[in-house]
Amino acid sequence: MTVRPIKERHCEERSDEAISPPGVMIEGSEAPAILAEGVCKRYGSLTAVEHLDLSVRRGEVFCLFGPNGSGKTTFLRMLTGYISPSRGRITVAGHDVVRDGLAARRKIGYVPETVPLYGHMRVGEFLRFMAQLRGVAATAVAEAVDRVIDLLALGEVVRKPVRVLSRGYRQRTALAQALVHEPEILVLDEPTNGLDPRQIIEMRGLIGSLAGRHTVLMSSHILSEIEKTADRAGLLLDGRLLGVRAIAEVADLESWFLSVT
Amino acid sequence: MRPLVILFLKELHGTFTSPIAYTVATVFLLVLGYTFSLTLFATKVANLNYIFHQVYVLSILLVPVLTMRAFAEERRTDTLELLLTAPVREIWIVLAKFLAALSLMILMFVGSLAYAVVLGLYGDPDWGPIYSGYLAVLVNASLLVSLGLLMSSLTENQVVAAALSLGTFLMLWFADSVAYLLPQPFELFAVNLSLIGHFKPLASGEVFLSDVGYFITLSLLALFLTTRRLMER
Repeated sequence: MTVRPIKERHCEERSDEAISPPGVMIEGSEAPAILAEGVCKRYGSLTAVEHLDLSVRRGEVFCLFGPNGSGKTTFLRMLTGYISPSRGRITVAGHDVVRDGLAARRKIGYVPETVPLYGHMRVGEFLRFMAQLRGVAATAVAEAVDRVIDLLALGEVVRKPVRVLSRGYRQRTALAQALVHEPEILVLDEPTNGLDPRQIIEMRGLIGSLAGRHTVLMSSHILSEIEKTADRAGLLLDGRLLGVRAIAEVADLESWFLSVT
Repeated sequence: MRPLVILFLKELHGTFTSPIAYTVATVFLLVLGYTFSLTLFATKVANLNYIFHQVYVLSILLVPVLTMRAFAEERRTDTLELLLTAPVREIWIVLAKFLAALSLMILMFVGSLAYAVVLGLYGDPDWGPIYSGYLAVLVNASLLVSLGLLMSSLTENQVVAAALSLGTFLMLWFADSVAYLLPQPFELFAVNLSLIGHFKPLASGEVFLSDVGYFITLSLLALFLTTRRLMER
């Protein structure tokens, strides 16, 4: 398969009429948790994501994988409302991320690749702040924070300032803030980046335990991790989704990756 | 409104856990105290007009230091991504930062009330110009903070944000200096754009709605542009 160089390609014009309305039921199946239709993102003449169509089922762990610069983070940022698509539409639990952004963002818990945290806050303070910001009722904040502290085993560091945390604890704190409002959809950008082997195993176990209760959309470029974590995987290359496969049906991701690139 | 309160408290927490706020407040009150004592002993006149002008100059120099981190730091550390992907409107984020920075300025102005109390105890000041002077420094601080936030939203480099703010403040201060070089209607525009031209009457006890309107209008414009900047995705 040949792939045109990304810088020479452009998103073609596509009218909104060609795209089904938000919250549309897919025939013969349940409405998807995430639905992307004809999504493009351009930065001037550079096309970062091109005509991406994707449907993620409720409760599954879906992984976008591909080399660095393939458009994974750009897509996740469009999904979470941090940047807008140049074309196309993304719906989250039936809410359009652009037109109904606030409602869509309420459904999402997001851990960006860079794990941004407020260093001057203590872990407990940070989680309380994020719980309030994400709309947890004032009377339920303490309970929600305690729940994620237990879930992520943050009890030891709850009074420590975020800036002194190790990479592993930072990652757990970031995941805790994403889960504190019990979102339907969890978006994790390279969740095992920078973790040591033990932390990677813990993170993998954690993501596995979240499946079913939450829809998990993650990105990664570590094939072995994807095979152990995801139910389905989508291969992105140069901003284009080259295919989606159920992990159970793929002999090994490496062969698939090599065959299509 | 709840997100605004939550974000405002977070900004206040950030402001008062940073040494910048304490440094700025200390410098502000020290310089002001020095000026007050020196001028009072020299002139023996019970008014605060010179103090208000000192506050004006100090605000122009110190507000860039207060606001430079607002968005630049959030961009640099990527925490802006956390805020903008949370279910809150951009306007709340901007207003929270604006109110937090303005609160610190108001606290500093409250500290300077000691001078008015001293004048009241030991002299017989005309209170009208003192009230209008405080109105002048308040609306001036509101304009400078909102412009500082706008500059901070344009870059992720704090020093660049501070330099842009200072440059903008100085250009507004001296806008009327170049007026005579310009043809009409630009001459009138430059004169009316002048910061000092609107501050001086207010600080001297001459309250005109147009002067107050100038500060409020430009503050709202800067806050609007900052919000638009955040909405650019």
